[in-house]
Amino acid sequence: MVSKTEETQLNSLENQVDNGGGGAWEYLCLVRKLKARRSEKVLKYGLSILNDPKKRSALGPEEWTLYEQVAIAAMDCQCLDVAKDCIKALQKKFPESKRVGRLNGMLLEAKGSWGEAEKAYSSLLEDNPLDQVIHKRRVAMAKAQGNISGAIESLNKYLEIFMADHEAWRELAEIYVSLQMYKQAAFCYEELILSQPTVPLYHLAYADVLYTLGGLENLHTAKKYYASTIDLTGGKNTRALFGICLCTSAIAQVSKGRNKEDKESPELHSLAATALEKDYKQRASDKLGLLTSALRSLKT
Amino acid sequence: MAEDLVLDTAIRDWVLIPLSVVMVLIGILRYFVSKLMLSSQVPDPKIVKEGQVIVRARNLRAAANFIPPKSFRSRRVYFSNEENGLLFVPKGQAQNPQAQMFSDPNMAMDMMKKNLSMIIPQTLTFAWVNFFFSGFVAAKIPFPLTQRFRSMLQNGIDLSSVDVSYVSSRSWYFLNLFGLRGLFSLILGEENATDDTQRMMQMSGFGFDPSKSLGAEKDGLDILQHEWALPKFEHRAEAMLKKLIR
Repeated sequence: MVSKTEETQLNSLENQVDNGGGGAWEYLCLVRKLKARRSEKVLKYGLSILNDPKKRSALGPEEWTLYEQVAIAAMDCQCLDVAKDCIKALQKKFPESKRVGRLNGMLLEAKGSWGEAEKAYSSLLEDNPLDQVIHKRRVAMAKAQGNISGAIESLNKYLEIFMADHEAWRELAEIYVSLQMYKQAAFCYEELILSQPTVPLYHLAYADVLYTLGGLENLHTAKKYYASTIDLTGGKNTRALFGICLCTSAIAQVSKGRNKEDKESPELHSLAATALEKDYKQRASDKLGLLTSALRSLKT
Repeated sequence: MAEDLVLDTAIRDWVLIPLSVVMVLIGILRYFVSKLMLSSQVPDPKIVKEGQVIVRARNLRAAANFIPPKSFRSRRVYFSNEENGLLFVPKGQAQNPQAQMFSDPNMAMDMMKKNLSMIIPQTLTFAWVNFFFSGFVAAKIPFPLTQRFRSMLQNGIDLSSVDVSYVSSRSWYFLNLFGLRGLFSLILGEENATDDTQRMMQMSGFGFDPSKSLGAEKDGLDILQHEWALPKFEHRAEAMLKKLIR
């Protein structure tokens, strides 16, 4: 994931290049390093460098990496002719390359010829059965064709071998949530929390899934994870604050009649509500009325 | 006798600098030759899977306190289950890593190539140094040494009255051998084949033994006590919100 400093750096570079201040090559390198998805800009500036023969020769061997980057960006923006030209240039230079074969497969995918793309990928996988990127592309293909269960199956198989790949776990969790298979999604989020315990995003998502699953124990656990998100983000995450209020009221509803007082953090609910009100007053004071009435209805 | 020998500047010009330059050039040559001879190694799927399992088990151990106790316990069973747990290696199958290494022809070839590419240039350079640059004092080490180093550092010089700080060019060669590693990582980027010292250290700690590390991870997991850290977080969140509101 991109850190905040890197993101600001990227944005400032982008502004600089947009306003004609040069530095396109550094921008492209930074995008490549951070794996950010800014395909339009990459396409525009990459093509401007590639079409200018002086600038192109100034790049030296990096020229081919730029071709690859521009080809992928062109496919993302559906400019398939540009992509085909770039891939042709790359194929002339590196005839037997697996990377170029992969780009060819991606081009077939972008054109929509799924069968041929599948054939291309399988042949590449035969040569090198442990190529992570190709496995992931097959999953993406299945997802794009709408074959979600096929995507889940291939993703699971992929994760059996490469079980330390947290991006794959994240993708699987999101697919499960979209299919409302919350228990499995909870498992995936647990894996993510295990691999990166200080990222508040995963705590928040896990808490959301637990809250959706319902049940007293899950609600208690969800409340704890909302609290940890608040802790990790310094109290600035509005969604977690809302989550706490909702959890408390849900717990109160479920344990109506049983006199099970929450001994661990009696004030958390009111504190969260106050923090929310303060936040809204600062940032969206016209919606403050809505907020107070919503919170009041929760309390009852 | 502690008299100061005055060393001719010609020594510096014609011995120290050429020797360093030659070693740098040989290092660069070896780097390019190793790049040419690099054979792409097809990774064994079983080894990759085991590596990933180890990473996952390590993550589980490190962050176990962040997930609910039930999930932790189910994961622990999944890993160290007697029948089909991931980390469980039945005793008969634990292969001797050395035997495995030598039976795999690719790996044996690779090791031999690496060893050769390290030994031959070193031997040649050493012989060259001995042939051309022996029999005189090459440099003076700035700190005093005991007499025991005399045989190591002064082997061309047959006078026993010379201070041990005055060394022959052989010691300059060794100094360069270990010292140019930093220079090479600057010029050639990380991961260059001239990292002899690292490779020598690696050779002594032999072989990636997957079954042993799996067993170690399993033991670590079995010992681990799960202490759920989340309730603490609730209190901390409370305290933080209190501070925020004030």
